[in-house]
Amino acid sequence: MAVDPSPDSSNANDQTSNKAPLKDLKKKKDEKKEEDLSDDDLALKQQLELYVERVQDADPGVQKLALESMRQEIRTSTSSMTSVPKPLKFLRPHYGTLKAYYETMVDSDVKKYLADVLSVLALTMSAEGERESLKFRLLGSEGDIGSWGHEYVRNLAGEISQEFSKRQHLDDEPFDDLMDLVQQIVAFHMKHNAEPEAVDLLMEVEDLDMLVDLVDSTNYKRTCLYLTSAASYLPGPDDMLVLDIAYTIYHKFGEYASALRIALAQDNLQNLKQVFISCDDLVQKKQFCYIIARHGYKMSVDEEMVDNEDDREHLQEIVNNTKLSDGYLTLARDIEVMEPKSPEDIYKVHLIDGRASAGASVDSARQNLAATFVNAFVNAGFGQDKLMTVPSESSSGGSAGSWLFKNKEHGKASAAASLGLILLWDVDNGLAQIDKYFHSNDNHVIAGALLAVGIVTVGISNECDPALALLGEYINKEDSSIRIGAIMGLGLAYAGSQNEQVRKLLSPILGDAKAPLDVIAFTAISLGLVNVGSCNEEVAQSIIYSLMDRSESELGEPLARFLPLGLGLLYLGKQESVEATAEVSKTFSEKIRKYCDMTLMSLAYAGTGDVLKVQKLLGHCAQHLDKGETHQGPAVLGIALVAMAEELGLEMAIRSLEHLLQYGEQNIRRAVPLALGLLCISNPKVNVMDTLSRLSHDTDSEVAMSAIIALGLIGAGTNNARIAGMLRNLSSYYYKEASLLFCVRIAQGLVHLGKGLLTLSPHHSDRFLLSPTALAGLITMLHACLDMKSIILGKYHYVLYFLVLAMLPRMLMTVDENLKPLTVPVRVGQAVDVVGQAGRPKTITGFQTHSTPVLLAAGDRAELATEKYIPVSPVLEGFVILRENPDYREEK
Amino acid sequence: MQSSVFYFLVLTEELLYCVSSLFLTPESLPLPLRSLLLSFSAAAMGQGSPGGLNKQGLPGDRKHDGDKKEKKFEPAAPPSRVGRKQRKQKGPEAAARLPVVTPHTKCKLRLLKLERVKDYLLMEEEFVTNQERLKPQEDKNEEDRSKVDDLRGSPMSVGNLEELIDENHAIVSSSVGPEYYVGILSFVDKDQLEPGCAILMHNKVLSVVGLLQDEVDPMVSVMKVEKAPLESYADIGGLDAQIQEIKEAVELPLTHPELYEDIGIKPPKGVILYGEPGTGKTLLAKAVANSTSATFLRVVGSELIQKYLGDGPKLVRELFRVADDLSPSIVFIDEIDAVGTKRYDAHSGGEREIQRTMLELLNQLDGFDSRGDVKVILATNRIESLDPALLRPGRIDRKIEFPLPDIKTRRRIFQIHTSRMTLADDVNLEEFVMTKDEFSGADIKAICTEAGLLALRERRMKVTHTDFKKAKEKVMFKKKEGVPEGLYM
Repeated sequence: MAVDPSPDSSNANDQTSNKAPLKDLKKKKDEKKEEDLSDDDLALKQQLELYVERVQDADPGVQKLALESMRQEIRTSTSSMTSVPKPLKFLRPHYGTLKAYYETMVDSDVKKYLADVLSVLALTMSAEGERESLKFRLLGSEGDIGSWGHEYVRNLAGEISQEFSKRQHLDDEPFDDLMDLVQQIVAFHMKHNAEPEAVDLLMEVEDLDMLVDLVDSTNYKRTCLYLTSAASYLPGPDDMLVLDIAYTIYHKFGEYASALRIALAQDNLQNLKQVFISCDDLVQKKQFCYIIARHGYKMSVDEEMVDNEDDREHLQEIVNNTKLSDGYLTLARDIEVMEPKSPEDIYKVHLIDGRASAGASVDSARQNLAATFVNAFVNAGFGQDKLMTVPSESSSGGSAGSWLFKNKEHGKASAAASLGLILLWDVDNGLAQIDKYFHSNDNHVIAGALLAVGIVTVGISNECDPALALLGEYINKEDSSIRIGAIMGLGLAYAGSQNEQVRKLLSPILGDAKAPLDVIAFTAISLGLVNVGSCNEEVAQSIIYSLMDRSESELGEPLARFLPLGLGLLYLGKQESVEATAEVSKTFSEKIRKYCDMTLMSLAYAGTGDVLKVQKLLGHCAQHLDKGETHQGPAVLGIALVAMAEELGLEMAIRSLEHLLQYGEQNIRRAVPLALGLLCISNPKVNVMDTLSRLSHDTDSEVAMSAIIALGLIGAGTNNARIAGMLRNLSSYYYKEASLLFCVRIAQGLVHLGKGLLTLSPHHSDRFLLSPTALAGLITMLHACLDMKSIILGKYHYVLYFLVLAMLPRMLMTVDENLKPLTVPVRVGQAVDVVGQAGRPKTITGFQTHSTPVLLAAGDRAELATEKYIPVSPVLEGFVILRENPDYREEK
Repeated sequence: MQSSVFYFLVLTEELLYCVSSLFLTPESLPLPLRSLLLSFSAAAMGQGSPGGLNKQGLPGDRKHDGDKKEKKFEPAAPPSRVGRKQRKQKGPEAAARLPVVTPHTKCKLRLLKLERVKDYLLMEEEFVTNQERLKPQEDKNEEDRSKVDDLRGSPMSVGNLEELIDENHAIVSSSVGPEYYVGILSFVDKDQLEPGCAILMHNKVLSVVGLLQDEVDPMVSVMKVEKAPLESYADIGGLDAQIQEIKEAVELPLTHPELYEDIGIKPPKGVILYGEPGTGKTLLAKAVANSTSATFLRVVGSELIQKYLGDGPKLVRELFRVADDLSPSIVFIDEIDAVGTKRYDAHSGGEREIQRTMLELLNQLDGFDSRGDVKVILATNRIESLDPALLRPGRIDRKIEFPLPDIKTRRRIFQIHTSRMTLADDVNLEEFVMTKDEFSGADIKAICTEAGLLALRERRMKVTHTDFKKAKEKVMFKKKEGVPEGLYM
């Protein structure tokens, strides 16, 4: 500038001379306006006008001074939320002149200053989409971004995201200049409690990695909470990316348990191990193992994770769930529900008026079978009941047999297997009690005993593999019922373990052309369960071959549906990996092709919340078909499966299902109650309850049956009095119809599952994690319910035992560092969504204070009511280790 | 995110609303209506026991016990409750309500969630339109409706429900004559029936065929400001601080609730405007009404005093109920001292009634039921005589004083009032502006008007300075109650 001042000055002169007439005109206008202004404002306005003129002065010193004071004016003006700050308002008319002048300026500090001011002015002035604020910001001096106020920063962020997407389209310009700015803005937001905005901006410019460096210990929790909840609504690979970032941040701040939850959600073994390796606190590791065990993840703790052998064994024990039974019984004793209950205690016939009890003797075999199931469900895991285990005390041993033999043929299988459910998780004791049935000469009883072995060991791993040892030899017996018992038992016992030996045992059966269809079907399911979500190619191959081998007529049978289901389970929640198999399935026989297609798609996208898949499935349901096609049932279930991922989708799916009910054909209407049951499993929402109650009186008996079963599912393990009342009324309403009554009884048993201590919900850890094995068990049972008459009401009623996979105590059990139960006060209340809220909002509402162990209903959350202990896990569910708070002082 | 996304959020929310209102109304009808008609035809015109089906709730309500099997009889489920009328749910029907989207702050997560909801709604729409194309239900609806109309018969008579006997029977009285024991037809929404409500009856058998819902008390409906007043903020001279306060307390909570949530405070519930007469309290309220798009209800305190015992409190209740129904809304009560004076031992029934009206007002302002989007503006010129309970924070959080105008404001007010007048060149308003007399805004207006009238009297086309002088003296004379101005100066 000093080199050649003349052009500058002449320029300035030019402008003034040019402006002279213009100004006169303007003055007149101004005069009119000025009348409206108060003195202060007028002074300010004139002052600013002066500055504007001075800025165009030749002397850089004057310019600088003018700019400096202009800047001062803008910054100090107290902006109110309701109006534009006055300096900005008065500078509006001069924006154009300043901009024009800026263009003519020579590069210098002053120019940069002016760019800053222009950038702020552009906040209110620049036309939509021009992004001038950003432009001048980039040209200006890179001063502290926050000094111009929040509104400016917000506006800038908005313009950056626009600019970014524009540049991305053209994809020729580099983003470096933008990124510097982004970094400043994000840092600013992070400092001012605006984590969501920071994250939003970074998502917009696709550079979330930056977040890791910018979070600090005060705001990382809120940031990660925001990230994790955004993940379930983001499409495609973005969600995984977001979770990765959240994982990295948690990991960085040593919040290992939270990091572990994310690793589990991603199903990422690498990260899982890393958490173990980086954490050197044994107590925390124990907590990790509890979370993993609840998730149903079969994992072996290796040296890399833990050095000390004793510790390793200890941790493995927790992962293996060996103490689950003890914990459950402690809970039961604490709540005082150890007393066994008989089916009559559940039916509560005395509460129904009149006639109901009269017609009890219509079909006693089915009645007894129902009683067997109710007894098993109600006393699940308690180790004692009033039908099956009583006789062990009496010397004769007669009455045990007597209940068993009150059931007919295949009923005896279910009866024997019910013993397994009663002794659930208690492997040592259970196997001893079941043992006596192995010596029976009734094939059905042996089949039941085999199944019972599987049920007892559900979710419990043991190094000796008792289930494999016991069941292995029965796999290839002549009698198909024994074979099914053994196969299903293996499937249950090793669900999710991806056990090689089991696979080797079972795979050959699929290739056996002589094996009957039911054996094949159960083998497929068991293989699916064992390798759930593994995408195991070999298993997939063998199921596909056996599907191709079977004749048309066999594929038309109801049980054939288990083959595609087994195939689907292999890809549970694995999204795109299913595609190759889905292609192959297109070559299948007409009869099963579409069913297979639907099943594969719905299972592969289960729990993803993928809207496009829901749309596809809905599209399939929109068709009106000729008789005989069965694929719409799995499509309806698929909608529920995909949508159950998050609360919003769940609510909206319930609405969509309502439409299906109104417009759909019978085969769709039959599946809708089941889908509702899956969506609200163990979560009795009143509106769903009402819908199901209406459907339970439907003219179509199969719709009514599925509605009744669904009532049981939504109330499973809740002891919900309203559902119990509805079911009691239904039992008197349907007292003459054996099959409907059977469904009512099953539902009653489910509602009182484990005397109200168990849940069937596959979601846990604040609804963040979805246990694949639990889900697999539920789906299998629901698919069986799609053809109620021939499967559950036929001779395969033991498919109901697939529900065992999803059964887990809905408790909060606090233990000390040595894993001994510890009683502390906790507050339990309705969970509140606190994502994106500033400060430290309440996380629960309407709470009550209890002392642990305590039951948690769906949507409940707990928090410690004492400062004396610090929980090791971020989420208080299941087993939680408490540590003494070193800072705690007893109040006197 | 920022501006662009804000815009987008607004867009999506609008879209959602459009979508939901678009197709949720027709589809909820057909199924329940059809099935209940079947059963209804069996019931002999509502007398005797109807055949099982008992329709409850609004169309689209999920509760609807269906017993379509002829062979079996199931007693209809009793109504969930008898007596008090159910509170009307706000917005679209309860069944069709959309889930709440939680972070209220505008952020990407909220956008994503809203988009998710929108996606599902679009799918529903696609599905429903597809199905409608395949088998249209319009005609059937029409048919069903005409059947219901047949059953209702015409003409219908209007009666009063005296008492509900059981689910299907009631005692009714018509305007003339005795009371009858009659049946209630199954399609009447029993949840809405309450003793004392107006009903439609069949003209011959007098069975209940419908329900007349009195929506809004006519007393309250007049209070609604339908036509926005012409005065805007620009017409207020000065009072900048007051305008800002009232904007923050009344307008912003309705337009930008998230700002308050961000900070973590509850927005103020109401404000009271007080100050000397003529300082612009009502004017400001008018300006608020002019600028807001919220429902504006205005009452004068004296309107709340009614002839009959209990009517005043009832009116207050009704007023706030309407405000709640029409929320977001602003309730403006002018001259609140008419009902809000301090409590004292009253001897006459009338006084006690006025006090009870105030107690109801207290309860409505900060009582058990929370009023979300209802803001209250009170105005008075005797704040010292108001009951302290009325003014406590939580009821009225902000007290805005309207002082007499200072010199600058006075000038502004003069400018506003003289801007449309033809003034002679000799008029020097500064003289009036700078005077030491205490003028209120109303006084200034009076001076201007008076000056204009004086000019008119002399058939002049311009108002001169002397006119103003005379006018001022006149006004001040009146104000000082007969003492001429300047007498003791």
